[in-house]
Amino acid sequence: MNERTREVGEMLAGPPRSYASIVWGQLRKRPSAMISLGGVLVLAVLAVIAPFIAGEVPIRWVQDGRASWPILRYLTNAEYSGMLALALALALPLTMRFVRPRAEAAGASPWLRAVAIHLGAWLVVTLTLLAVREPERRYGFFLERAADVESAWFPPIAWSHDPGYEELAHRDQPPSWRHPLGTGRLGDDILLRILYGARTAMTIGFVAVGIGSTIGVLLGSVSGYFARRVDLVLMRIAEIFMFIPTLVLIIIILAVIPASVPPLWAVVGVIGVTGWTGSYRLMRAELLRIRTEDYITAARALGIPTWRLLLRHAVPNGLAPILVGAGFGIAGAIGIELTLAFLGLVQTPSWGEMLNDGRQNLEFWWVWGSAGAIIFLTMFAYNLLAEAIRDAIDPKLKI
Amino acid sequence: MKTYLLKRLLLMIPTLVGITFVTYAIVRLAPGDPIEAMIRSQTGNIDPKVMKESADRMRQRLGLIEYHYLRDAVDRRCGPAAEAGAGVRALRAGAVAIDKLYGIFLGYGRWMGHMARGDFGESIKYRTSAGSRNPLHLIVERIPVTATLNVIADALIFLIAIPVGLAAAQYKGRWVDWGSSLVLLGLWSIPVILAGTVLLGFLGKGGLGWNLFPVAGMHTPGYEKYGLIQYMADLLWHVVLPVVCLVYGGLAYLAKMGRASLLENLRADYVRTARAKGLPERRIIYHHALRNSLLPMITTMVLTLPGLIGGSIVVETIFSIQGMGLLYIGAARAYDLSVLMAETLIYGFLVLAFLIIGDILYAWADPRIRYE
Repeated sequence: MNERTREVGEMLAGPPRSYASIVWGQLRKRPSAMISLGGVLVLAVLAVIAPFIAGEVPIRWVQDGRASWPILRYLTNAEYSGMLALALALALPLTMRFVRPRAEAAGASPWLRAVAIHLGAWLVVTLTLLAVREPERRYGFFLERAADVESAWFPPIAWSHDPGYEELAHRDQPPSWRHPLGTGRLGDDILLRILYGARTAMTIGFVAVGIGSTIGVLLGSVSGYFARRVDLVLMRIAEIFMFIPTLVLIIIILAVIPASVPPLWAVVGVIGVTGWTGSYRLMRAELLRIRTEDYITAARALGIPTWRLLLRHAVPNGLAPILVGAGFGIAGAIGIELTLAFLGLVQTPSWGEMLNDGRQNLEFWWVWGSAGAIIFLTMFAYNLLAEAIRDAIDPKLKI
Repeated sequence: MKTYLLKRLLLMIPTLVGITFVTYAIVRLAPGDPIEAMIRSQTGNIDPKVMKESADRMRQRLGLIEYHYLRDAVDRRCGPAAEAGAGVRALRAGAVAIDKLYGIFLGYGRWMGHMARGDFGESIKYRTSAGSRNPLHLIVERIPVTATLNVIADALIFLIAIPVGLAAAQYKGRWVDWGSSLVLLGLWSIPVILAGTVLLGFLGKGGLGWNLFPVAGMHTPGYEKYGLIQYMADLLWHVVLPVVCLVYGGLAYLAKMGRASLLENLRADYVRTARAKGLPERRIIYHHALRNSLLPMITTMVLTLPGLIGGSIVVETIFSIQGMGLLYIGAARAYDLSVLMAETLIYGFLVLAFLIIGDILYAWADPRIRYE
C-alpha cells in the first residue's frame, strides 16, 4: 500500500473533514509553504507595528510629572484599522474553536462563520474610528514639546527626533549598530524605509488584490453563469482592460485622480480597478464549467431562485482558483507598485523608490542591496505560497 | 474556418473602439491643461489673454474643444455661481459633467473621422523646428527597435523553456525537477526593475563590477559608418542586457507550463500504448509526448505576447532604448493625446491580431481542433 492510498484510507476512516481543513493539512506538510507563510506573517506584523519600531514620535513621554503615550494620539485611523485587521486575522483559529460546535450543529462552515464575525467586527470598529476620531497631525509634536522633559522612550530606530543629531552628517553611512542597514542620501535610516516600504507593499498587496478579486468574482460569475450575450459583452469589456498595457492605463488614470487623494490610496485604487481581469477570467471559466454540472440542474429543477443558486451553490464551488490567483496576484500588484515608484510616478514610501536611489549611487551597496533583497524575498514568499496552495487544491490548475 | 475568422475579425472592431475610447476618455477627464502647459514650456510666461487665444487656437487644431453650452445656460438662468444656493450649484455641476461628456464623445467621433482618412493628428510633445511630428511616423520609426528586442527574446524563451521543461518532466520528483522549479519560481519573483538595476550595476559600464555592456541605447554613436557585420555585432552587444531582462520572466512561466503539459501527456493512454508495444523511451518522449505538449505552449506563447510588449515598456525605460514602450510612457506622462491614441490603436491591433494568429496556428498544428 503506497503512501497516497494510505492517506485516502485514513481520510475515509476518520471523522468527516471540511475542504479547507484538507487543503490546510496538505499545506502543513510542505516546509516551503510553512516558511513562506511565516515570512509573510512576520513582514505583515512588522509593517503594522512599524511606528513602534522606527519613527520620530515618542512612545512614552514624561513632562511636568505627568506621563503620556504620544504615539497613541498620533497613529492614524488607517494604522489602527490595519493593526486590528492583523490581530483579527491571527485570532481567526481561536474564534473558530469557539464557533465550531454551534456551526456544526447548524450545518454551516465554521470557517465562514468565524471570517464573517471578524469581518463584521473590523468593519464596525473601522467605520466608527473614521467617523469619530481625528488623529493629531504628525510633527505637531515638536511644537508642543518643552525643555523640561523628564524622560522619554523613543522607538529603537529614531530617525529625526534627536535635536543634537545631525542627519546630514550621517548620510551614506554603511551599516552600524545605530543604523543596522546603513543610511541613505539624506541621512535616512534604511531599515526604517524598508519597514515603511513594507506597509505600502502590504497595503497594495492585500487591498488592491481584494478590490480586483471582488470585481473579478462578481463579473466573472455573472459572465460565466449566464453565458451567451452577457458573456459576450462582459468579455469585450474585460478585453479592453486586458489589452491596454497596465502601466500605461495606470499612468493615465493616475493623472485623472485629484491631487487631494493620498498617493497610496490612489495607487491602491488604480491597481485594484485595473487588475480584475485575471480573476474575472478564472471565475468565468469555472462557472462555464459549473453551470453544466448535475447539481446545478438539480437545484434549478427544485425551483431555487437564481440569486440563491449563484450565491450558495455555483460561486462557492468556483472560488478555489481565485485564492491561488490572488496569491500570485499579490506578488504581481506589489511588482506594479514597485515599478511605479521606481519610475518616480507616485510618491509613496516604497522599496521601488529605494532601488532607484540605490541605482544612482551603486557604491552604497546597502541601499540597493537591502531593497533588492526584501523585494525578492517578499515576492518569492508569495509565489511559493500561492504555488503550494495550488498544488494542495488541484495541481492541474492552469494559473 | 472562414466564417470563424470573419467573426473574429469583426469582433476585433468593438474591442479596438473600446480600447481607444477608454484611453481617450480618461485622458480628456484629466484635470489641468496640457495645452497651456505646452505653450508655457515653449514661450515662457505670457499674457493670460494671449495665452487663452493661442490655447484656443491649438485646441481647435487638435480637436480638444471644451463645450460649455449647458453650464452657460444654467448661469444665464440662475445668475453667477458664487451667490447661488446649493440646488443651483448641484445643477451647475451636473451641467458641467454633461458638457464634459459631450465634449469627449464629440472629440472621439472627430478622432475616428480623422483616423478613417488616415490622419493621425500631431504630437504635443515631439516637435522639431519644422513643427509637430506625425504620431504615425514616430511609431513607425520605433517599431523595428521594439520588434528586434521582442523577437530575440521570444526565440530565446522558446529555445530554453522546452529543454528545461522536458528535463523537469522526465525526472519528475528528482533533484532536477524540484531544483529547476525552485529556480524558475525564483526568476519569476524578480521584478524587471530589480534585474535591470543589478545587471546594470555589475555588468554595465560605469557600474561596480566589470564594464562589459553599454548602459543605454541600441547603437554606439557613429554606427552609421559600420559595415554589416560590425553593425550586427554592435547591435547584439547592446541588446544583451535588455533581452536578458525580457527573457527570464517569460522563460520561467513557459518552462513551468511545458513541464505540466508534458507530464499530462506522459500519463496519457497513447503513451502507455507506445510503451506497451516496446518503443524506445527516447522515441516516446520526443516523437509522441513532446509534439503534443508543444501545442499548448504555442498558445501560451502567443497569449503572453501582450505581456512581453508591456514588459518592454519597463525595459526600454531602464535601458533608455527609443522604442514603442518608451514612446508610450512618454506620451502618457505628457498627455500627448494624438500619440497616445495612435499607439493604443496600433498596439491593440497588434495584440488582437496575434491572438487570432495564435488560434489559426493552433488549428493548423492540431487537426482535432475545428472552429465553427
